[in-house]
Amino acid sequence: MLIPGIPRLLVLAFFLLLPFVGNLYLVNQFTLLLVYGMFAMSLSLLWGYVGLLCFGHAVFFGLGAYIMAMVTKQMIPGMDGILSSSLAGILAAVGFNALFALILGWFLFYGRLSGPYLGIVTLAISVLVERIFINWYYTGGYNGISSVPALSFAGWEFSDPRHLYLLVFVLSLCAYLFLRRVVNSPFGAIISAIKHNEARAESFGFHATKYKIKVFAIGASVAGLAGALFAAAAEFVSPTELGFKMSTEVLIWTALGGREGLIASFMGAVTVKLLENYLSEALSEYWVLIIGFIFLLSVIFFPQGLFGRLLENRNKGWSVTSPQRSKTKKEGRVC
Amino acid sequence: MSAAVQILNGLNYILVLILVAMGLVIIFGLMNVINMAHGEFFLLGAYTVVLTSKMGLGFWVGFIFAPILVGLLGAILEAVLVRRLYHRILDTILATWGVSIVIKQGIILTFGPEGLMVKPPMPEMVTFAGISYPSYRLFIMGVALFVIAATFYLFLKTDFGLGARAVIANPNMAASLGINTRRMYLTTFSLGSAIAGLAGATMAPLMSCDPHMGLGFFIPAFLAILVGGASSLGGILVGGGVIGGAQNAISSVYSPVVAQIVVFSLAIIIIRMRPEGILGRKARD
Repeated sequence: MLIPGIPRLLVLAFFLLLPFVGNLYLVNQFTLLLVYGMFAMSLSLLWGYVGLLCFGHAVFFGLGAYIMAMVTKQMIPGMDGILSSSLAGILAAVGFNALFALILGWFLFYGRLSGPYLGIVTLAISVLVERIFINWYYTGGYNGISSVPALSFAGWEFSDPRHLYLLVFVLSLCAYLFLRRVVNSPFGAIISAIKHNEARAESFGFHATKYKIKVFAIGASVAGLAGALFAAAAEFVSPTELGFKMSTEVLIWTALGGREGLIASFMGAVTVKLLENYLSEALSEYWVLIIGFIFLLSVIFFPQGLFGRLLENRNKGWSVTSPQRSKTKKEGRVC
Repeated sequence: MSAAVQILNGLNYILVLILVAMGLVIIFGLMNVINMAHGEFFLLGAYTVVLTSKMGLGFWVGFIFAPILVGLLGAILEAVLVRRLYHRILDTILATWGVSIVIKQGIILTFGPEGLMVKPPMPEMVTFAGISYPSYRLFIMGVALFVIAATFYLFLKTDFGLGARAVIANPNMAASLGINTRRMYLTTFSLGSAIAGLAGATMAPLMSCDPHMGLGFFIPAFLAILVGGASSLGGILVGGGVIGGAQNAISSVYSPVVAQIVVFSLAIIIIRMRPEGILGRKARD
């Protein structure tokens, strides 16, 4: 790549210009795609940058969506007036997720869960929470919560799809810049060190577990923000959003796009979901089969994902496939 | 339902859970690979029985074929897929997960998403000391006990088991002493898969077979391994007993959902308190 920033600028320009070019259907569709992209970026932070393979990441997305829906529909006792505004909903979703992830992280990471173990435990959490919400009649059980109010700030309602799109776009951009800041900061250097060799990072005096818990909370918060925006943009939330299916999807988006890059995983989500919107009608049930196969092939042949090389230019020496890393992985403790 | 029947049902579930966990743990112990498609192997075992019942061949043909077919599939998967990823061991979990998605969707496409029933192969009841109990459930317990005992025998008393334990302790050393680790991985993967297929086949007549039943066994089996400790085969007996027993006891008093929540929280707390499992020894570091 001659000028490494160009593809990323093209992505930015495309998403910025879209609402002024596309029709309303397209704009509505892309609002949700931005939300999914933000969700994928939060998984990329945990998985690609810290090596926390989270098989149940949808639990944070779904909880964010449910909290947003419950706050703005005044379903939480004692929260009305200003406390049931969109902003309160978003803050509650992000805050609750951060707290939940801190507590969960404290249990899991101090329990020395890592690698595949962590992945499956998070998967189990996601399946469990999905089952709780299916059986919880207050939140609509299997049908979830519908007619969630649209976003509004200080009396200004985002009822025009183009305005909503631009708002979600700005928030996605903020989420990207925030996550990029995190991974490029000294804090990011430490989490990268932990990913590549935890024992070495600890011997340098960094408390790996504490850093992992913090990153887990950051990733969960961003996923919660995406979930909150999803609830407001789609105007509904159902147990599907926090369960097995969504967890599977976000993992596939991130893996196909490129787990080791924020923009790459964002584009993975957008591409896969866009294809799904157009192809799933023609292919019906075969779509999942095909995407499963593509996922399988990408794990074997393109561990960096489809956009990993194109959109990211960072630390080439540390890629998934480099022999240096795979060696430490093989010899390191897996459990 | 009398208390004795409850306890027997609980025991039934525990034994099948241990069977599923056993297949997982021998693959994990030897190869460090967590087979995410294990639940789907269970599913394939169950659907083999569904298929043979549909074709009029009856339950028993499916019961014999299920472990053979799934074991073969496991061998193919190991040779084609898992073998390519030994140097990226964390990616095997993703690859096998991809396989599980494909298998599950394949089942949905072939058999439809709804639950299917298999005609019970042994409908008669056995009455003993005033308690009447379905003979098929006793048969399942017998099969599970036999397979568990056979696996223990294989790994603790035979030459193959000695080799396998050498590979677990130090794969490079074992290979340099002339043990064919490649073939051992292939055999183990196939064996673990076959056990999952057998477990699925035995459970098929007891429940409605739907494409999501694999996950319903995979997660508790995995929790059983975590709780019991993956370092020894004995650990899963304890883990399976704790997870399966608690699950059954609580769901008979309250509801299956409450049972799942409690069991899961219990498992997380045990993991926090004893990361190496109830039976596991402290990690040597």
